[in-house]
Amino acid sequence: MQLGFLVDLHLCMGCKGCEIACKVENEVPLSTWRLRVKYVDVGTFPETKRTFTPLRCNHCENAPCERICPVSALHYIENGIVNIDKERCIGCAGCVMACPYGAIYIDPETQTADKCTYCAHRIASSMMPACVVACPVEANIFGDLDDPASNISKYIQDHRDVRVRKPEKGTNPHHFYVGGGDVNLNPLASQRIEGFNLFDKITTLPLGGHHE
Amino acid sequence: MIHESLAATHAVVTLDVPLPDIFWGWFVTMNMWAKSIGTGLIFMLFLLLRKNSSEMKGLRTLTLIVSFIFMNVFLLFTLADLHQPFRMWHIFFYPHWTSAITVGAWMATLFVAMEFIMIVVMIRKENCLLTKNPVGFFDKMLFWLTLLAIPVTLYTAGIMAEASARELWQMSTESVQMILAATLSGSAAIILLGGSKLSDETKQFFGAILGLSALLAFIIYMSEYIFGGMKSEEVTAILAHVKGNGEYSTMFWIGQWVAYILPMLLVALSRVSKSNSLLSLAAILAIVGLWVVKHVWLVIPQLLPMS
Repeated sequence: MQLGFLVDLHLCMGCKGCEIACKVENEVPLSTWRLRVKYVDVGTFPETKRTFTPLRCNHCENAPCERICPVSALHYIENGIVNIDKERCIGCAGCVMACPYGAIYIDPETQTADKCTYCAHRIASSMMPACVVACPVEANIFGDLDDPASNISKYIQDHRDVRVRKPEKGTNPHHFYVGGGDVNLNPLASQRIEGFNLFDKITTLPLGGHHE
Repeated sequence: MIHESLAATHAVVTLDVPLPDIFWGWFVTMNMWAKSIGTGLIFMLFLLLRKNSSEMKGLRTLTLIVSFIFMNVFLLFTLADLHQPFRMWHIFFYPHWTSAITVGAWMATLFVAMEFIMIVVMIRKENCLLTKNPVGFFDKMLFWLTLLAIPVTLYTAGIMAEASARELWQMSTESVQMILAATLSGSAAIILLGGSKLSDETKQFFGAILGLSALLAFIIYMSEYIFGGMKSEEVTAILAHVKGNGEYSTMFWIGQWVAYILPMLLVALSRVSKSNSLLSLAAILAIVGLWVVKHVWLVIPQLLPMS
């Protein structure tokens, strides 16, 4: 079994229900996110549109975070999930530096690395991840990539515009997008202009170690 | 190129919450800088042993102690940068061998332990239980210590390469830069430590190592600076921070001048004028400038948006 995620960006309406459900389910502290929805505005007025892209850990088959972790705190479990053992993590931030998707953060409460685990604890109890349950338009599709009859496999078979983020990194993500373009999936394809962010003043909690 | 389409799409991120900090900051710069001096001194001591062992007198213990101090500074800053420093022991009890951090921690620990034993032997002299010939023991151990110093110097390049999100750091270039940083700072440190114990000829020998290390490192940085952006759009975006009005542009050039260009010129001048003062000045500048160079190269890839 290799569990994977697919987000149909045609359906996503940026409600952030998944983000909130994840926060609540996993008790993600203030100023950190396991899953977040990125908004990118495209075009010039009046020909404009807003795109929404949920971003979470890609649970790569060839995960750079797992490789660099010095104590195996980040590890694969049998169903393909890249899980994290927070009791073992030493907080070196190697995984933060290695993840090409910016999906790993240091939890300000435990001072250890943390990230989306595809709600591994829920899956162990045969439940769907919290974000899948919360999505009002079923844009999040979750299932076994090894099973050709699973929803996710069928979705991938039925759609031609299935993409992953940064395929050139060779990480083989288990997280797919349908209907995504460069604007959604490539961080360098959109500008980050000061003052254009909907929330400019995000309060961050203090971390251990040293930061600039 | 994606970058070229920006004007056409006019795509602007209006909501994202990327990682808030530079995660590897100046503590990691201190780590790399101190390790370069620590292992570089061992390389130079070994060269001195091979070139002119008669000049080793008075330098064996002194150089080793200074190297030991810098290696401990390196370890201290490594530990201080951890968010859970009291779990450092996990590296030894739950080692993950694909990680360059693990391999490096083990090798650096062994390296420092070997240095400690050699210092104890040299200080206790004939009273030492290990050997009745401390100098002979030291010189034999120095060979193995020098061999170990090579991977200890290189492993940080492995960590940077494994931090694969940071496109700028490639194993091939970073490993050469790590060795050159060690030979640059090691030769500079031994010139300063050697003082009157080293002959003018030996000082010029180390000066030549300093100058050549500076030249080669400078060439690599300039190659990256000019041609690096052709590798990928990520590297182009990263290097923009040290070009033109980039926020690290001034710091980058200060580093290049202080670590490489000025020391090269001063070494050349010292050879012409046979001036030890100029050589000492070159050594001080190289050591100071190396910190700045390392810091800029460490920080700029972390400014790249990942999402």
